[in-house]
Amino acid sequence: MVKNIKLLLSEVVFLSVVSFTLVSCGGVAEESTESDAEENIFSVDQVLEMVSKENDVTRTLYTKAIVGQGKLQGMKFDEDWQKDDVEAGPLPALFLRGVATSIRRSPVPLGLYLGSDYPVNSANKFQGKQAELFEKIKENQDPQYFYDEEQKVHTAMFADLASAGACVSCHNAHPQTPKTDWKLGDVMGATTWQYPKDSLSYGETIAVLNSYAKGTIDIYMQYLDEIENFKNSEKPIIGDKWPAEGNYVPTAEVFLDSVRKLASYETMNKLMAAK
Amino acid sequence: MMNIFKINPLRKRQFVGLVLGLIIGGTIFFILTLDVSEKYVSIGPMNTGHNDISCITCHADARGNLVQQVQSNISHAFGFRKNGVDFGTKDVTVDNCLNCHDRPNDRHPTYRFSEPRFSDAIKVIDATTCITCHKEHHGERVSVPSMDYCMNCHQELDVEDDPLDISHVSLIKAKQWTTCIQCHDFHGNHKYEVATKLKDTFAKITIQKYFQGGYDPYGTDKKYTGLLESEWLEKLSEK
Repeated sequence: MVKNIKLLLSEVVFLSVVSFTLVSCGGVAEESTESDAEENIFSVDQVLEMVSKENDVTRTLYTKAIVGQGKLQGMKFDEDWQKDDVEAGPLPALFLRGVATSIRRSPVPLGLYLGSDYPVNSANKFQGKQAELFEKIKENQDPQYFYDEEQKVHTAMFADLASAGACVSCHNAHPQTPKTDWKLGDVMGATTWQYPKDSLSYGETIAVLNSYAKGTIDIYMQYLDEIENFKNSEKPIIGDKWPAEGNYVPTAEVFLDSVRKLASYETMNKLMAAK
Repeated sequence: MMNIFKINPLRKRQFVGLVLGLIIGGTIFFILTLDVSEKYVSIGPMNTGHNDISCITCHADARGNLVQQVQSNISHAFGFRKNGVDFGTKDVTVDNCLNCHDRPNDRHPTYRFSEPRFSDAIKVIDATTCITCHKEHHGERVSVPSMDYCMNCHQELDVEDDPLDISHVSLIKAKQWTTCIQCHDFHGNHKYEVATKLKDTFAKITIQKYFQGGYDPYGTDKKYTGLLESEWLEKLSEK
């Protein structure tokens, strides 16, 4: 009898200690983000379309007003612009790569890539699903959306158009180009965007747009730093003037300010309507 | 009633064993948690360049104490909470590596390989994560089984005005995929003159030794260097 009580008591004490230990300290607090409390009001497709439009305006401004006009002033732009012995700015494709790199450093899980069926660098040629969807984009320039099962991300592709004379002239004349008859307005490639969630809150949407804007500033600042380190080339004057006015480039603030003026009207409308 | 907590004389030896075991176990546990014991705790020798960094650089403590972590994961298993938690230390991810090795000039950054068109390539070699090629605790620099990995993405390479005496196209046609790395460093961080004659490229054995942690044939002149632990700590404190 005593033996049974002893056994029972031991079990009770053991279970009590285990239960107390497991429950009393309360566990690790759930990681919650501000967005958990917010309602998801945009589909991922809507958000990717918004940020893609910001990208269109930014890249067109950079290509036309910085690269196109800059070249007329004798400024140099090169795919090897980051090499120490090259004193030049980033070409538009590399500008986008810089934005994408900056986005990846941010906490926003947004992916951005640029590709084509006739890329200057053959490693950037679309394959598989992207090649298939790019054929549709070339037909009517409509965006294409799909869910990438392998990476578990929502993916959208948007036409990347020859929007400036510099796109056409540089690509046609590039020694590595596989195509020499590009024309203004051609679908030269497509941007591919990825995001893991199917819908986003207002806060998450703003974070996506901000991460893109910050990416623009980061790569543009790198370009200005490159200019500061020119040793053998004439340095453009960095200020509030643009290359169209002479040997000038705008500061990052002036550049982003112009992007905002050009880009945000449609995006702002959508954001305001949702609010 | 007091009898039920009294130790049976026949079990005294077991009791002494239990107490001794707890003392010895506790002492070993304490010694192994000291900084000086890190090399004994490590599952293998650190890779090239990582000899002077401490465990905490990559293996940060997970949130909460061990009991809380057990409780949270049990709750998660039974569906009482949304997410499980890391146990002991946080999982090591690409972000840990990039905290010290992120460079704007990386010609093959890991994030690029998340693009759908690399889906077949990453099934062969998962370039979305550093540890595919740089497995830690192996006492080496690069841990790939073969040097021919460029074949997974560069089959269609055609270099206009090819500066190499035997063209890149010919080398690819002949499936000479190990020759890529004999000229080009994968991440593009070294500053050096690339050979224009195949005979002047680095020998395969030299590259193999470099992968194993030996002499760097691409040179020591690099545009960016990884952060020292002290620099990493300073960067953390700035955040």
